Amino acid sequence: MTTTTLIFYILSGVLLSSAVMVVTTKNTVYGVLFLILAFFNAAGLFILAHAEFLAMILIVVYVGAVAVLFLFVVMMVNMETKKSQRMDRRYLLMGIFVGGVLVLELVVVFMSWNTSPEAFELIFAPQDGLSNTHALGALLYTHYALIFQAAGLILLIAMIGAIILTLRQRENVLKQKIGDQLARQAKDSVQMVDISPTSSFRNLESLDDSATPRGRTSRVS
Amino acid sequence: MGGAYLPDLTLVLPEGILVVTAFLILMTGVFRKSTNPQVQQRFGHVALSGLIVALGALIFYHHPAERWISFEGQLLQDDFVYLGKILILSGSAAVVGISLASMLKEHLLSFEYCALILLATVGMLLMVGANDFLSLFMGLEIQSLSLYVLVALKRDQTIASEAALKYFVLGALATCFYLYGASLMYGFSGSTNFEAIATIIRMESAGNFPLSLFMSLIFIMASFSFKISAVPFHMWTPDVYQGSPTPITAFIAATPKIAAMLVFLRLMLEPFMTLYDEWQSLVAFLSLFSMVLGAFAALRQTDLKRLLAYSAIGQMGYMLLGVVAGTDEGIQAVLIYLTLYLVMIIGTFACLLCLRGKGSYGVQNIEDLAGISTLHPKVSFALAIFMFSLAGIPPLGGFFAKLYIFKAALSAGFFGLAIAGALASVVAAYYYLKIVKVMYFDDAPKVPSASYGQIVVLPLKMALILNACALVTLLFFVFPNPILEIVQRAAFTFSG
Amino acid sequence: MVNVEDLLFLIGYTLLIIIPLLLAVAYLTYVERKVIAAMQRRVGPNVVGWFGLLQPFADGLKLLHKETIIPTQANPFLFIVAPLLTFGLSLSAWAVIPFGPGMVISNINVGILYLFAISSLGVYGIIMAGWASNSKYSFLGALRSAAQMVSYEVSIGLVIVTILLSAGSLNLSEIVEAQQNIWFIIPHLPMAVIFSISALAETNRAPFDLPEAEAELVSGYNVEYSSMTFALFFLGEYANMILMSAIGSILFLGGWLPPLQIPPFTWVPGIVWFSLKMSFLLFVFLWVRATFPRYRYDQLMRLGWKVFLPFSLLWVILTAGVIVIL
Repeated sequence: MTTTTLIFYILSGVLLSSAVMVVTTKNTVYGVLFLILAFFNAAGLFILAHAEFLAMILIVVYVGAVAVLFLFVVMMVNMETKKSQRMDRRYLLMGIFVGGVLVLELVVVFMSWNTSPEAFELIFAPQDGLSNTHALGALLYTHYALIFQAAGLILLIAMIGAIILTLRQRENVLKQKIGDQLARQAKDSVQMVDISPTSSFRNLESLDDSATPRGRTSRVS
Repeated sequence: MGGAYLPDLTLVLPEGILVVTAFLILMTGVFRKSTNPQVQQRFGHVALSGLIVALGALIFYHHPAERWISFEGQLLQDDFVYLGKILILSGSAAVVGISLASMLKEHLLSFEYCALILLATVGMLLMVGANDFLSLFMGLEIQSLSLYVLVALKRDQTIASEAALKYFVLGALATCFYLYGASLMYGFSGSTNFEAIATIIRMESAGNFPLSLFMSLIFIMASFSFKISAVPFHMWTPDVYQGSPTPITAFIAATPKIAAMLVFLRLMLEPFMTLYDEWQSLVAFLSLFSMVLGAFAALRQTDLKRLLAYSAIGQMGYMLLGVVAGTDEGIQAVLIYLTLYLVMIIGTFACLLCLRGKGSYGVQNIEDLAGISTLHPKVSFALAIFMFSLAGIPPLGGFFAKLYIFKAALSAGFFGLAIAGALASVVAAYYYLKIVKVMYFDDAPKVPSASYGQIVVLPLKMALILNACALVTLLFFVFPNPILEIVQRAAFTFSG
Repeated sequence: MVNVEDLLFLIGYTLLIIIPLLLAVAYLTYVERKVIAAMQRRVGPNVVGWFGLLQPFADGLKLLHKETIIPTQANPFLFIVAPLLTFGLSLSAWAVIPFGPGMVISNINVGILYLFAISSLGVYGIIMAGWASNSKYSFLGALRSAAQMVSYEVSIGLVIVTILLSAGSLNLSEIVEAQQNIWFIIPHLPMAVIFSISALAETNRAPFDLPEAEAELVSGYNVEYSSMTFALFFLGEYANMILMSAIGSILFLGGWLPPLQIPPFTWVPGIVWFSLKMSFLLFVFLWVRATFPRYRYDQLMRLGWKVFLPFSLLWVILTAGVIVIL
């Protein structure tokens, strides 16, 4: 047993058990943390397969961004665990049944599966001097260019959707308009007035109102 | 760096035009920040012209009777895809045309709506043009994500949110099925390309197909049955139809169904054609149950949109009957049915959208149409035409659509199914005719409800579309040739 | 099997980095107090040892012998894990930093991505601490900090993209070697500015230190921490500052390369140049803290999403375009 095999079994063991914990644990925060652990071990498996680019991207995107947002939501929502427990029982049988059927199908499919002899060579990245970042890029931007762009479009739609469904234009909110603030000139807001010592202070009020400050925080209707 | 990689971009020109228009609308919309209805309507017009320009580009650059492949085999265009894209683009344009006024009335018209309609159309175009499980998946996702958002557009209404959630969760499940099936297929064949898969399946000895292939077939069929809402994957349809704002229901009822049906047809006839003996019983099952359930479940509906949902389920059943036949005649019948279905459904929704209650409501229940024939004779007449046609009363378009389907089924030897279909259409005729009866023979209510169709809002665009749909339905039996010709050429791509 | 000898060497190298790093962290706190004091015309620490040079050790010793208090309502496991995580992450990033030609523990192909991944994990220590403390101040601080770090990571990511477009590699040593002719700060000056500001936000330093704003949140996510657990957060924060300076000098200031490739400069070993550049960037961190008032939260978010993000996207496109044309 080589070290690589040992590491492989450790990583996949932790990966599988943390994946089970994600579903079974009562505390949702722990659930997300186990999910992160699972991502980590998956990244480790990628590194074992010499796919270091995928490993890093997995961590940056899933652990660094997606799971943070999960954690945010879960921590804010503060789930009541007791109530959902009772609900679980009712769906447990059905869930086990559906899951069982799917597992059975998978088992049956893989029993009748013949792996083609070349498949084992494909598991590891080809060692032809090209780093796998280059190799991925060369494929993504040529062969899969269309699909890559389409995936971008999907993300755009998701973004539009999230904005439409959550953005509420509130009225009477104070908003800072930095552009207006920067565009404000001294001559717009300051007026030089010659006041002769004899004139009364009252006269100042009759000055025109054009000097109302523009750049101040203004109400948005 | 290697040489420049440039695929044949003219193939995706219509998609490109739509995407650019959508971006234009989004950028202007975000920076204009206007809630002025006229500005919003202008966005609608931009979207509409984008769709029409894309249609023009499609027709201008089409290579007839040629298998035009680009993006390393991921996309293709032949006469079949061409017909599909024409249907989708003109369908989307028509839906935008009929929905603008109504969206405006319900304070839902925004630049996001226009952009999302365009993006959904892009997704559908990619779907029907796909020649690869990956590009198909991308198209499918673009289309369904846009639709989920569109359904949820009226987010303050519980019923709309519920519909959106149901649509989203079940749609995501269907996508999972698709991915599961496609990955099994990749595991089996080592390719995601339709042609490669077709070749590999053909090489397998008949009657000795591995189990994974069946699994994959079943999963992929299940996911598309969901998209075309065939029984038993139809549960979401009535709720989504009812919950979403009517203009969006019109969109969901029209083009996505066409796109999904065309993809279903292509999948069954190209990669899976060798497995015909295996899938025909499954499709027959889907078809039979859809026809029967569509006929019987609609009888008790009072909500117009729910009724149309069950009607759509039934209509999909008839189309599947043509798929079951699997012959050239069957394909032609399905394509004719699809074309006429699109025309009829857009016409029906145009009628429903132009009728409005006193409040800001559109018509909702069948009673809202009681006795409107005296108030609005023209609109009632048009709606009656569409109802007769959907019911399959000769000599309207819908009758011929059904006729072709039954003929194809009979000549392929599916007597039982054809008879069941004919019986189901007799039952279904009841509820279509009930709407006509309510319009023409019931008395208008003494105190009209808020959604009673008192007012007609029929701008010029809508009137044009409505008249065009009515004319096609009415006069199909006189001039069937334009449609028949293009359909024949499209069907020829599979047999030729 | 892994060679025992190799393993020992590895441990040796690691210690060779960690011990100076911890010393540097200790003296960074001292320098910070001295620099700020000088800017505010005070003396700063001057009692413990000559010129107060032993002050950091005195502080450390004080923290060490205090009791570690775990609040009764806290989640003890996460409460303890959070500072460990913060500190551990701030150390583990150093594995890929090249101090000179070939002077790196692990010269991996995706070094810059590794750094980016590690820095994106830093948010977990903070958010876990905030949640596990079961205190409103902590949680608010943690939420602020997480939102801030996630936002600014985006622009740091785009900065990294421009650099790797110019260098043509994700390997840190190759990125440095690519600056033989010209440091990237010259063609990419706007990105260098964005990077340095984002680095301030990423390390929760002034003027973006809202997560630990003393005045509003009584020091935010670490309000419930005491003794060594607090010290670990403290060390982690300063180690992150040093790390960010290291990344900044590798990406923009040519790492270990001398300013000019001519004799008087090339005689100086690369690690000295690298340390000098890092020290300069660290000084900028302190300088900024002494100069600017704290940002308001909406201003912070606006700057990140509405200014940096579009601009750096534009710059990425521009860079890519220029590279394609050349």
